[in-house]
Amino acid sequence: MNSKRIRNTAIAGVGVLGALALTAGCGAADTQSSGTDKVVLAEPSWVGASANAAVVSKLMADEMDVKVDVQQMDEPVAFDALDSGKADAILEDWHGVPKKQKKYVEDKKTVVSGGDLGVVGHIGWFVPKYYADKHPDVTDYKNLNKYYKDFRTSESGDLGHFMGAAPSYSQHDKGLIKNFGLKFKHVPSGTEAAQLKEMQRLYKAKKPFLAYWWEPQWMNNDIEMVEVKLPKYTPGCEIPEEKAKCGYETNQLEKFLNKDFSENGGAAAEFLKNFKWSTEDQNEVAQMIAGDGMKPEKAAEKWIKENKSTWEKWIPEDA
Amino acid sequence: MSESAEHTPVISVRNLWKVFGPKAASVPENSALKGLSAAEVRESTGCTAAVRDVSFDVNKGEVFVVMGLSGSGKSTLVRCLTRLIEPTAGTLEFDGDDVRGMDTESLRTLRRHRASMVFQNFGLLPHRTVLDNVAYGLEIQGVGKAERRERAGEMVDKVGLEGLGHRRPAQLSGGQQQRVGLARALAVDPEVLLFDEPFSALDPLIRRDMQEEVVRLHNEEGRTMVFITHDLSEALRLGDRIALMRDGEIVQLGTPEEIVANPADDYVRDFVRDVPREQVISVRRAMRPADAGEAEDGVALTPGTLVSDAIEAVARSGKPARVMKDGELLGVIDHERLLSVVARLGEDDATGAAADEGKVAAV
Amino acid sequence: MSTATTPTLDKEPAADAQGPAPDPDRRSAEPAQDGLAARLAANPKWLVIGFAVLVVLVSAVVTGDGSWPGGWTADIRTPLEDLDNWLVDNRDSHWLFLYFLLHISNAAEGGVDAIVGLFDSLGWVGVTVIGTLIAWAAGGADRSRRAVRTGATALAVFAVCGILDMWAPTMETLALMVVAVILAGLLGLLLGLASGLSDRFEKLLRPVFDTMQVMPAFAYLLPLLLIFGVGVPSALIATVIYAAPPMARLTSLGLRGADPVALEAARSLGASPWQRLYTAKLPLARKQMMLGLNQTIMMCLSMVVLASLIGGGGLGDEIYQALGKLDIGTALTAGVAVVLVAVLLDRTTSAAGERLDASQTATEPAGMAKVRAAVWGGIVVLLAVFAAVGSALWESEWPEGWTVSWGQPINDAVNWFTDHLGSGIPLVGGTVTWAEGFTEFILNPLRSGLLATPWWALMLLVAVVGWFVGTWRASLTGCVGLALIGAMGLWDRSMDTLSQVLGALVLTVIVGLIVGIVSARVERAERVLRPVLDTMQTMPQFVYLIPVIALVGLSRTAGIIAAVIYAAPAVIRITTQALRGVDPAAMEASKSLGATGKQQLFQVQLPLARKALLVGVNQGVVLVLSMVVIAGLIGGGALGYDVVQGLSKGNLAQGLPSGIAIVCLGIMLDRISQPAVRSRKGS
Repeated sequence: MNSKRIRNTAIAGVGVLGALALTAGCGAADTQSSGTDKVVLAEPSWVGASANAAVVSKLMADEMDVKVDVQQMDEPVAFDALDSGKADAILEDWHGVPKKQKKYVEDKKTVVSGGDLGVVGHIGWFVPKYYADKHPDVTDYKNLNKYYKDFRTSESGDLGHFMGAAPSYSQHDKGLIKNFGLKFKHVPSGTEAAQLKEMQRLYKAKKPFLAYWWEPQWMNNDIEMVEVKLPKYTPGCEIPEEKAKCGYETNQLEKFLNKDFSENGGAAAEFLKNFKWSTEDQNEVAQMIAGDGMKPEKAAEKWIKENKSTWEKWIPEDA
Repeated sequence: MSESAEHTPVISVRNLWKVFGPKAASVPENSALKGLSAAEVRESTGCTAAVRDVSFDVNKGEVFVVMGLSGSGKSTLVRCLTRLIEPTAGTLEFDGDDVRGMDTESLRTLRRHRASMVFQNFGLLPHRTVLDNVAYGLEIQGVGKAERRERAGEMVDKVGLEGLGHRRPAQLSGGQQQRVGLARALAVDPEVLLFDEPFSALDPLIRRDMQEEVVRLHNEEGRTMVFITHDLSEALRLGDRIALMRDGEIVQLGTPEEIVANPADDYVRDFVRDVPREQVISVRRAMRPADAGEAEDGVALTPGTLVSDAIEAVARSGKPARVMKDGELLGVIDHERLLSVVARLGEDDATGAAADEGKVAAV
Repeated sequence: MSTATTPTLDKEPAADAQGPAPDPDRRSAEPAQDGLAARLAANPKWLVIGFAVLVVLVSAVVTGDGSWPGGWTADIRTPLEDLDNWLVDNRDSHWLFLYFLLHISNAAEGGVDAIVGLFDSLGWVGVTVIGTLIAWAAGGADRSRRAVRTGATALAVFAVCGILDMWAPTMETLALMVVAVILAGLLGLLLGLASGLSDRFEKLLRPVFDTMQVMPAFAYLLPLLLIFGVGVPSALIATVIYAAPPMARLTSLGLRGADPVALEAARSLGASPWQRLYTAKLPLARKQMMLGLNQTIMMCLSMVVLASLIGGGGLGDEIYQALGKLDIGTALTAGVAVVLVAVLLDRTTSAAGERLDASQTATEPAGMAKVRAAVWGGIVVLLAVFAAVGSALWESEWPEGWTVSWGQPINDAVNWFTDHLGSGIPLVGGTVTWAEGFTEFILNPLRSGLLATPWWALMLLVAVVGWFVGTWRASLTGCVGLALIGAMGLWDRSMDTLSQVLGALVLTVIVGLIVGIVSARVERAERVLRPVLDTMQTMPQFVYLIPVIALVGLSRTAGIIAAVIYAAPAVIRITTQALRGVDPAAMEASKSLGATGKQQLFQVQLPLARKALLVGVNQGVVLVLSMVVIAGLIGGGALGYDVVQGLSKGNLAQGLPSGIAIVCLGIMLDRISQPAVRSRKGS
């Protein structure tokens, strides 16, 4: 009996070893992609980023014969990918992950700036225009407590409902609500999509709401929002969040490149560094994608056809 | 029948014990525990003694039946013979080889070539065809595909399954499935066939067919068989000798006739009460010494003639019949004697006769 | 229970509940004098439970704040942050990464790339032809109905995916699936062999599998993300970890459940252990293993879609991106493609399984095995030929002209639907109003109740219920889980999540029971329901998140509805099966006594099916829990949101403890909802 158990255990052991060997053995096959004929772009999950990526991929493929692989990842993850070389560039960074940015750009020096995107980003607190029209003084944060009752929902109970941002977005609203003594409850949105849908719904029903909101944002073409004034941003004023007492920075959105790629990426890297367009340009493409339901490639194609003078400058001479 | 002088045991079992439970080994060693009944052993040690101090020989060419009710330990006993269940104590010899001392390899050889088993619930592999099931034992031995198919084909025919070789077990009836089991056991040409209640899952009519099949095979090949059953009539029909088990012990061992005519205790007597005695007991046991003048007259019968046949002969001639062996008169059997067998009179006499023969519990 | 006890609470002064009462039995015996208590007194177990509920209610009212004592929490953030930093710093230099993990990562990526490349060079015609042929061959490679139907299903699935303009993402998903299924299948097989053959491994692996079953996949996405970074390797490994257990479980079950007589027969014929494994055990376990493979494939699919969150790509990515644009139409189209792929894989594997089954009961023409081998050989040859010349003959993707765009019409339809249901229906209000009511009158009181209940009272309740339903081990496990949550400093957030889970669970069970009873009694209802349930179970949860928000707003209720949609099908199925499976003799007997349909249902079917129904509830617990994180995406908040945030920020210190807390809640609920029979089975 005993020998049987030992044998069975041995068989089982061999099985598990086999499993390990299998996973390890597979590791023998090695794959490395070379940098210049294929570029991996990290695309955060908002539409503006799709617009960037679509135009860049289309141009690079048509004009420079470089294949672009667009991978969906939000800023925090994108920085890791830039660090490891899994991604070559992110075209629209909102400075939402200062810690990682500092670590990789300043300390490890594996990620380098690719210059400004040209688009200006702005985050703030917003209420719908129809509400602001009725109560003009709601646009100062100091007066929010006057109106908190209008913003109550079943989620927030006795307090006003503050619609927070999706988890990966840079935010310090919780700290602000606490530090300003606002009678609001911070209710986060799990995803941008969820927030957009909820705002769309409330807007249609003409209900009052207070939300973390930003531009450029394609939905601003459909809805009209008015910003609630927050104290002016000074560098570092939002860190740590528990002591934050200021609004958000108005951002020159920035591109970041993997250092290796930046140095050895040749024309492709050159092109990405040159890529720079305006908020209006981006909104045009974004609206085509999200508002009109066009495919990103089609939207990019249309924009490229009509704006040759803008993108001509981006193509490096040697390409 | 082979109760003749040829006593070369194929399997020889001495003082075999099988105890289940914690510290099982201590039970056979402990003389105080040894003597207890099964229930007492369980009470005092928590162990179940399934086989208790069993000894017997299986002779070459005989059908040795182990009979008992469920829980009597008979299935455990037959599994101990090839160590499918490891015995706790005792000795076990197969053609003089010590089975309990065998290493894995020689034990495997024993199972592959010398003893194969037929199971109550068939134990067929549902994903294989009948032919491949029959060939399974040969496959395990490493016999090449063509050869084992051929041998399996012969066996399939032999057990009466011609033309069904490509079916799957699930497509066969219970009786047919057991024929496959039988063919599988036969295919490896073993010295001994072990049957573990092979027919108890079958319908009565089919059971009868299968029993005849076994009798036929035994007559044709003379293979040694150990047959486990809980069915007394099956035991009487097939067995050259029967070991009757109860609570793990053999309570009586003898020929069917001995057991029926001469039960060792009340338990056995109770067991055999409803057996039609005239079909088991022979005239040798029923005859009386010849009176003067009877020696020349009447039908001559051999001593092994069953009482039921003798009744016919006596009734037809209207006179007592003579029991003759090698031209010598052994005795006479008449109406009275025959009637007393059927009416269970004179059992005490029979006991005496059996004691004379000295065959009860031969070992 | 609790409704029955509430009045008692008002009458009883708080004096009784002053202490946690070391021996509940004796203390409760004294105040238990009026009607309810007298009834309870008949059964000491009920008495104890009643007492525990009483303690909970009274202590909640008295103390009003149930937080875990601050001093008893351990700081786990700092070490986790350190680990996080260490991982980031050493990811490119440490030997563990360079010589082990990097290889795994590269192999995963290489494998998937190779398959994608293969699909590319096969072209759309090649993929469709070979896919159809494989399905046909799996169905038996003959002209039987099964084989033809399986092949036709495959053909239709490929065509529809192409027409829906989902060809490229479908191929990506399929490629990831091929690699994931092979790896998960092999891993599951080996683990299953190990635990099927060795009792020691079984003992070792069973709790692991048990935990895996209640562990939401998101809980281990995060560590993987940190180790392997974003992209295919993390997605692949997460998928393999998630999907291997069913294969392992069923393999082990099959090996252990193999007909003992057949095995004994093999042994009696002198088979060596290896021979027994190859010729008897494995073939006998074949059916179970096929079932395991089928389940593994389905789990792979659902995980591959989820894994788009960490860079898995494919259809999941398509859905996720479409949602960002609120493009329900595209998301739904991609969702349909996922369902179709599920149908394809399910039908193909189950056809293969059926064929194995049928081969045991039917005689096949002698040459069939050879024909089948030839067909498989032909497929391989064709694969090679197409791979070599396919790209020259036709495009790699479905021709663009042959696609139909469903996006916009679906969007319009969904919008119309949600607009009109959302609010403003005369008299009954609208879904939004209902949802608000649900939040206000059920969720909020439940949450404040849980938050007000002292931790020790809750533990007492868990311990008593666990002991009542299962064994003392179940109650111990539940308490340890709760203590762990407290020690991680996540008590309040966990209570928030728990209140949502309980709310969702109650809804799931109600919906599941009612629909299940209906479909058990009305044949036609079941036939109509079956494809609906299949779709609900395979449709990626992301797809219905946005319409749900449109219907009920961004709130905890939205998360709960998503969870109910996901969990109810399983409960419905189990209920239907359980009621149908009631001993026909008992049904006949009651009928012969003149019982009405209703009497039969309440006096025979439901009581007899009780055990199976409990399994259904347990299944509901597990499934609802696995939706906590998804609910975090649409306003569920609490632990789910923390995990999402940890995941999207790559923040181990935030995500991991919350993930563990969800697992703890899961194990706690699983154990106390698991009838003792199940925990005792095996061995």
